[in-house]
Amino acid sequence: MEELIAKLKEEIIDVLNLEDVKPEDIDNDAPLFGEGLGLDSIDALELIVLMEKNYGIKLQDPSKGKEIFKSINVMADYIQKNRTK
Amino acid sequence: MMKRINILSAEQISIQKPLCEDWMDAPLSFTENYVRCTDPDFRQFIFAGEARRMGRLLKRALATSLTALAKGGMEHPDAIITGTGFGSVENTELFLDAMVREGESLLKPTQFMQSTHNTTSSLISIHTGSHGYNSTYSQKHLSFDCALHDAWLQLRLGRIHSALVGAHDEMTPVFHTFMRKARFLPDFDICSEAAVSLLLSDEASDKSLCTLGGVWMKSRPSSDEILAALRRMLEENGLDTEDVGAVMTGMDGSEADADYAFLDQALPGAAKLRYRPLFGDCFSAPALGVYAACHCLSRGKIPAALMFSAGDRNTCGKAILVVNIAQRRHCSLTLLCGN
Repeated sequence: MEELIAKLKEEIIDVLNLEDVKPEDIDNDAPLFGEGLGLDSIDALELIVLMEKNYGIKLQDPSKGKEIFKSINVMADYIQKNRTK
Repeated sequence: MMKRINILSAEQISIQKPLCEDWMDAPLSFTENYVRCTDPDFRQFIFAGEARRMGRLLKRALATSLTALAKGGMEHPDAIITGTGFGSVENTELFLDAMVREGESLLKPTQFMQSTHNTTSSLISIHTGSHGYNSTYSQKHLSFDCALHDAWLQLRLGRIHSALVGAHDEMTPVFHTFMRKARFLPDFDICSEAAVSLLLSDEASDKSLCTLGGVWMKSRPSSDEILAALRRMLEENGLDTEDVGAVMTGMDGSEADADYAFLDQALPGAAKLRYRPLFGDCFSAPALGVYAACHCLSRGKIPAALMFSAGDRNTCGKAILVVNIAQRRHCSLTLLCGN
């Protein structure tokens, strides 16, 4: 799980072009949207694409993103349970 | 007397030093035939959280726009009008590349959003909170002229009282290769990039660089039509041909320079200037001709680096005419008058 979390942070920084953010800056339990990283709805779309491209997870209901992208820990847990690649 | 349209500020990011007029006294010269813009430090204009989704073209457009607004003393222009030949080429390439490699189902939304031509005008509007008229023109080398023409008409009709008019194009290595292969640029021409923003207002200001005396354009005009348009433009501004000190052209040393021969008859005593040796060529390069002419009029001097052929009057005179002949078929005239 630790390995997945570290990889996920790198991927999020890369795909969202968070130039000034380092993996260690991202609190595993902090909210990704609003507070915390301060991501927005366009970032949510980018994360949906990331999950499908890198982990083979296709979100049938995008509204579930709010729940899945709650924090790095929640997202990694969801990926661990649902990944197909 | 027609309404005066003032050009309050004119800013550039190009292959010369950005956001200043150092090129007038200390121009950079180039031996390469492909040169990209010298970028300023964008962090002084855009904070990191906002910049992370912007490609270089958008950052440049925002930097020239914000600088033009600041120098012109305005926050919210009535209109934002942009010209661009190809928009954000860098993001378009990334988007198309991903489509070829991975199919259509996993495309990144940010690259898609930025690959559209009207992204630039929209971004400026959102960033500055200016929610009035917003439009984008994409007519290759006439893109800026169309944008300026739109602003000119609306200002004269009183529909708007101010406008931020820009031209923004970038040239990626791949795009440059295509442009050369398509023989769209002469081999010896500097292939470059440009971001230019002009702030126009119908209110008089001591900050004004010069006034916009008129914009005219036509596809495949005859020499007689061009001469008639010029005469009309000069008359409207109470000027004679002798008042035009110089003509800014897009001449590049190719056989296409013959297209400017009508100037010998139209304005026989005027000096001929050319901006391409200084700024190179791209779809937004004609905007640099207007930008350069504005600053020549404002300072009352013509830098030697712009001079192509001396006329009887090697000063700006009361006005500078900017002539843009695109693809040897389409012609635009922009008359800039001193304050």
